[in-house]
Amino acid sequence: MIKRTCCFCATFLLLLSVNRAQAHPHVWVTFHSEVLYAADDTMTGVRHAWTFDDMFSAYALQGTSHARKGQYTREELASLAQTNVDSLKEYDYFTYARADGKKPKFAEPVDYWLEYKNPSLILHFTLPLKAPAAAKAMQIEVYDPSIFVDFEFAKDKPVSLSGAPPQCLTTYALPHQPTAAEQAQLSQLDAVPLDRSSTYGETFANKILVKCP
Amino acid sequence: MTGSRAVSLTVMAAILIAGAIGIASAWSAPFGAPHPSTATSSLTGWIFAEQAAFYRSLSGFIRASKEDGAAMWELFGTSFVYGVFHAVGPGHGKAVISSYVVANEETWRRGVVLSFVSAAIQSVVAIIVVAIAAVLLGATAKAIGLTVHLVEIISYALVILIGLRLLYVKGRGFLIACRELTRRQAPELALAAAPAAIALSAATFQLSGQRPGALAMRGGQCQVDGCTAHVQGFHCHDGHDHHESAWGHAHGPEPAALAGAGGWQRGLAAVVAVGLRPCSGAIIVLIFALAQGLFWTGVGATLIMGLGTAATVAAIATVAVSGRGLASRIARTRAGLGMLGMRAIEVGAAALIVAFGILLLAGYMASEQLWMFTG
Repeated sequence: MIKRTCCFCATFLLLLSVNRAQAHPHVWVTFHSEVLYAADDTMTGVRHAWTFDDMFSAYALQGTSHARKGQYTREELASLAQTNVDSLKEYDYFTYARADGKKPKFAEPVDYWLEYKNPSLILHFTLPLKAPAAAKAMQIEVYDPSIFVDFEFAKDKPVSLSGAPPQCLTTYALPHQPTAAEQAQLSQLDAVPLDRSSTYGETFANKILVKCP
Repeated sequence: MTGSRAVSLTVMAAILIAGAIGIASAWSAPFGAPHPSTATSSLTGWIFAEQAAFYRSLSGFIRASKEDGAAMWELFGTSFVYGVFHAVGPGHGKAVISSYVVANEETWRRGVVLSFVSAAIQSVVAIIVVAIAAVLLGATAKAIGLTVHLVEIISYALVILIGLRLLYVKGRGFLIACRELTRRQAPELALAAAPAAIALSAATFQLSGQRPGALAMRGGQCQVDGCTAHVQGFHCHDGHDHHESAWGHAHGPEPAALAGAGGWQRGLAAVVAVGLRPCSGAIIVLIFALAQGLFWTGVGATLIMGLGTAATVAAIATVAVSGRGLASRIARTRAGLGMLGMRAIEVGAAALIVAFGILLLAGYMASEQLWMFTG
């Protein structure tokens, strides 16, 4: 009797534990990012090129009128690009910066357009920092906390620098599977909430690191 | 023995608390640091990876089925497996349905049927939305996203309403059980031992099948328990909720009550509320298929995906029903308190439905936001 009870309860708990505040990924984005620098060696922003997966591209293109079958010009996609950047505002453009521990904010995107390369849509946009930041260690993360969108670095040269001082070096880090210790911390998140300064969540982000010693 | 049963009851309550914690963590996510929820456990991680892989392979199969009829069967097979995995992951459907069957004393058969109906509705809604908006009207993704959003809000509002109704009914049941317990305590101490023993035999009887003797006993208990004495008439033959009184009916299926139109209608209201909200994945797959000129293939894949989802939700509902049945058998062996515990569990499950509904409506859970890019 007790055994059966435990069996049921364990199964049920397991299933419930899966049921967290998260979504299924339904959009896959592979991205290239360029970190932009001004002449005075301050970082001014990030230029993104996000390639959507074929299914979501077809979904986004639905109802977009175009002159030639299977082709979309930049003009034909202009209003969709506008919609994209407008909607992304609510999600902070999935881009989070950290300059020597501080968190500079991004302004609204500029120079945005969509490109169609059968079968994928590519969203180009530049995110300027509200105030240019000078930092020895700059970190930019690209991820969706709700996991509806799955971000992945592009295979070839995913990260580059533009106008950066010559001593600056860029590297990038992939999100990783949690270690045993992280998993233990994760299981206690409900009881022990993260404090504001915690960098824990970012363990799971795509990280771009720029070091300018 | 009774001690261990108390433990089991506590565990059942713990299940509800776990659900509540899930909700609590949903609350904290938008305000605190982003919840790195990809990996609650390695199993969860695995499920996520699997379903993502299946989902992504769908586009290839849809493309292939343009030239190759055999690929269509692979597509359908993959759709089914994707549906199974998809439903194991987050989503309010199974949570609401499980809570519903627990709160509403649904039977196993009904839990399964409700799961399948809800999944079928979900698929059909997705198909209707895409057929009307995309195929007939040539609407943009933005318009489709808005439509889905609207349907979603209606669905969540209905979930809240159903939860509130259950909460009201079950809350009353709880209060009545409370009153009964206090009433029972003084004069019936001597009697308490006997019903407990009878209830035990009723528990075994439930497993071994119908025995007229036990049935008669149950009827007798029901009388003792004061169905007739209580003016409220809530306990025995309410007909509306077929509530058993504390020691009365075993919670076995009562075919007549089950077949009652009212019962099915209530269940259907719940599954319609849950099923109204189409799955984002299904919408995207349908539109992708449409773009390939293979709308009907997409329709087939969507329906089969729903079948897979239904299988998982039915399994979860079965676990919920079994858990509940077990708890109620345990409850029946413990005077007063056990019944009170059962009622408390029901109230808790009903409260969970309301909480799910509110959180979903407020946008803090299961944010499958189709409008993330195109809203």
